[in-house]
Amino acid sequence: MKVKNKILDKSFLKKILSSKGAYLLLLPGMGLFFTFILFPLIYSLRMSFYKWNIVNIGASKFVGFSNYVRVINDPIFIRATLNTIVYTLITVPGQILFALVVAILLNQKIKGRTFFRVAYYIPVITSWVVVTFLFEYFFGSQAGLVNFILKDMLHLVDKKIMWLTDPILVMIPLILLGIWKGVGWSAIILLAALQNIPPDLYEAATIDGAGIWHKITKITLPLIRPTLVFLVVVLVIGGFNVYVSGLLMTKGGNPLDLSHFILTLMYKKTFTNLDFGYGSAISYLLAAFIFMVSVIEIKLLRRKVEY
Amino acid sequence: MKRLSIFLIVIMLITGMTLGGVAEEKKVVTYWHTMGDAEEEALIKVIEMFEDQYPNIKIKPTRMAYDDFKPALLIGIAGGVVPDTARLDIIWVPEFAEIRALVALDEEMEGFDEIIANTYPGPTSTNFWKGHYYGLPQDTNTQVLVWNKQMFEEADLSGPPETIDEFVKYAAVFSNPDEEIYGYTMGGTYFWAPASIFYAMGGEVTDSEITTATGYINGEKSVAAYQVLVDMYRDESLSPLLLGGGGIGAFEGLATGKYAMIIEGPWAHPILKSDYPEFEVNFALVPRGPDVTTSSVVGGENVAIFEGSQNKDEAMLWAKFLLSEESQLTMGEAGSMPTLSTVQGNERLPEYYDVFMEQLKTAKARVPHPKWAEMDNAINNAFQYMLRDEKTVQQALDDAAEEINRLIIEE
Amino acid sequence: MLTTKEERIFRNISYILLICGVVITLVPFIYMISASFKSQIYTFEYPPRLIPRDPTLENYIKALGKDLFGRNLLNSFFVATATTISTVFISSLMAYAFSRMQFPGKEVFFYILLLGMMIPPVMLIIPQFIIAKNLHLLDSLWGLIVVYVSVTLSMQTFLLRSFFETIPRELEEAVLVDGGTRWDIFRKIILPLSKPGLAVVAIFTFLYAWNEFPWAHVAIREGSRRTLPVALALFQSQYLTQWGLLFAATTVASIPVIIVFVIFQRYFIQGVVTSGLK
Repeated sequence: MKVKNKILDKSFLKKILSSKGAYLLLLPGMGLFFTFILFPLIYSLRMSFYKWNIVNIGASKFVGFSNYVRVINDPIFIRATLNTIVYTLITVPGQILFALVVAILLNQKIKGRTFFRVAYYIPVITSWVVVTFLFEYFFGSQAGLVNFILKDMLHLVDKKIMWLTDPILVMIPLILLGIWKGVGWSAIILLAALQNIPPDLYEAATIDGAGIWHKITKITLPLIRPTLVFLVVVLVIGGFNVYVSGLLMTKGGNPLDLSHFILTLMYKKTFTNLDFGYGSAISYLLAAFIFMVSVIEIKLLRRKVEY
Repeated sequence: MKRLSIFLIVIMLITGMTLGGVAEEKKVVTYWHTMGDAEEEALIKVIEMFEDQYPNIKIKPTRMAYDDFKPALLIGIAGGVVPDTARLDIIWVPEFAEIRALVALDEEMEGFDEIIANTYPGPTSTNFWKGHYYGLPQDTNTQVLVWNKQMFEEADLSGPPETIDEFVKYAAVFSNPDEEIYGYTMGGTYFWAPASIFYAMGGEVTDSEITTATGYINGEKSVAAYQVLVDMYRDESLSPLLLGGGGIGAFEGLATGKYAMIIEGPWAHPILKSDYPEFEVNFALVPRGPDVTTSSVVGGENVAIFEGSQNKDEAMLWAKFLLSEESQLTMGEAGSMPTLSTVQGNERLPEYYDVFMEQLKTAKARVPHPKWAEMDNAINNAFQYMLRDEKTVQQALDDAAEEINRLIIEE
Repeated sequence: MLTTKEERIFRNISYILLICGVVITLVPFIYMISASFKSQIYTFEYPPRLIPRDPTLENYIKALGKDLFGRNLLNSFFVATATTISTVFISSLMAYAFSRMQFPGKEVFFYILLLGMMIPPVMLIIPQFIIAKNLHLLDSLWGLIVVYVSVTLSMQTFLLRSFFETIPRELEEAVLVDGGTRWDIFRKIILPLSKPGLAVVAIFTFLYAWNEFPWAHVAIREGSRRTLPVALALFQSQYLTQWGLLFAATTVASIPVIIVFVIFQRYFIQGVVTSGLK
């Protein structure tokens, strides 16, 4: 009732017409978005309610929520979710913390600034395949550098650690890889945000006798708040979407499907077992979960910036 | 700055348009594959021969990345954009046949029966599903023992092991885990890795009609086969590489004196020769188990035609050509073992093929069933449980049998 | 920011920390470059050596000499550049609308856009493929650009919007008071002040388009139209990965992205806002 009245209300119509500038700006982007993201999203949703037949789509069998039920009851899925959550909980703060330090350090007029910036950016541009392999190599049980250092150099352990074959230990190289690869990305964004802070504020604070810590917590952090919010949201999304590194390092949940991430499990079910509806259901559950988490994050963390 | 941007944009537009591409006049048959460099070069020669014989057909090969090949095919099928033909792993044929993506060649192809009369039965059988043949065997392979002669001589062993007992004994001789030296190594726990030994000891996964796995995968001989491997692992004569863990790979280890023996396919020869030219490659038949002659596992690729193809007739001509003597020999020279029995022993084929051809006589195919991938997973898990001491060999295989039975029925 | 003495101490500590960080950051990369100069036999030597025993260029010669490598490089460059320009343009329009304008449905549209960022791309490949096929965008570089822009739009718009939010509205009001139009605001205030933000969008979009693989592998099958990541993937065949070649090719492939970064990171100049305030 209320909605209907709202639409027919003259002033509402007026509002839409006067917003035509805004709509015009949104048109090209939204058009592309609707075509290549929204429609596929809905199509995918539909797939998740069927035992999907890719050759003869019409022959797909409607199964209602049974794919979803199967997913939630699958112990492998639960373990995969656990792994993904742990991964996210450690890599996100890890990335932001290191990135913040790096960004603050790099924000000064030091010599070789460009070199440092490029150096920190390099992990970001190297392909996942290559860096996953490099980390696999470093953590390898036979010829790996990490074991070499721990055992033969520092004598901290007396037997080589089987990093990659233990379902829990394998998380360590994966998490380290996630942080290592992401720090540069966040650092760049934070660096750009730091540019928008007027130096006068720091000067004023210095005159007032403030120390570094005070300046960082009372000036820097509050002023880059929107960017921090952005980073938390995006990095959490990225964390939940961890995929290539897991796929390559665990080779499909090795051992015993215990080291899956949600997306590597989805990949296995879809392309190895040809269970498209099931795979879709997994993706949707993941997407729904991420959406909820993100909305909560934004609402919690977002507040207007005051000068 | 502004002029520069305009200039750049114009350049890009022009480049974009020329990179666009032009359409062709003749009938085009697309062929997807995952061949390596050497095979690809041979393929080009085969295509030239074909186009000479059939001037109004053009073959368009596309090399796909191996790891992403199956997903790319499936996505293509889902989108209705399929290749006319493709070289598929033999394991995938029943799967793709089951979802009705492939053409039943025994029905649609002229002269089909004459062709398979001349191909090895093992590889040919991998194309069979529910009463029809969905592909032609394009190339085949099996695995044999590859041994490091130098290491053997240093250990005073005259030659490769011929029985499983000798195999176990010899492997133990070499083992020196502190130096990372092992008698034997396998690349993983997926079924393909232990398959040769498994079959050599008389193991079976299911009955020949694929109705049950009980009594087969968990039968006496299968259990004995896995027990041998588990014991070798405990003894440290089998390297922990098989659990994963980024260790020294099979080929590198063999060539650099870390592993005395590995079991690999014909590709071992070109790979070892190109990366380790000083290493002497020696092949031998897989050691035979008690009261069995030697055996091994069959691998290979089949060429299939997709239902969505618009050029089925031409596609069939191409598929048939791949099974011609000339094509089989040309590809054979590049490392793709022929499935055509009529070319066996031909002098154009590399000498080292002889061992493999001999082994092929007794090699067994894995289970040709659309759910094979999941069955493989079940057996893989079983092996992991055994190695990690969480289940006994019998227990683990019993569980695997249950799982496989479930998959058979589900179908 | 600090007194001269404090400044110096802080700067020296910064140097030390940064250098330590760089070493950790670059070790894998350095290893990769070092391995690219080794012949295949030595790729996995133990203990690992940093300086190659017999450095060789054979990997580079073989990798770069591969059929179509140059062509694939060019394709990637074209696609990445076009995607970047289009994305910067479209996303800044949208980000401005979301940040500074009011209109019915604003929240709804925004959350829908956000949704796009949260979706695992893997999940959408099949329907995207079907749609692309119907729009005749397959096997074409332009098709690739269209899809890439669509996929990265959510993220870049969100990013830019958060940058726009940090620009004080007083500045815009000042322009309006002086009799300027919305377009003036966009041109004189927003664009210059968000140079860092735009630079970030440019860098990341270029990186995304340059490295993207799953879609490129499926959407383009014609060898001469393939992009670099697909060409790199072909160094891995079923039984063997030619790591030496892959490392060499990856090193070469990384250069354009680094150049793009070096060019755009110049825009992180402090003092831009200061001049705006005055």
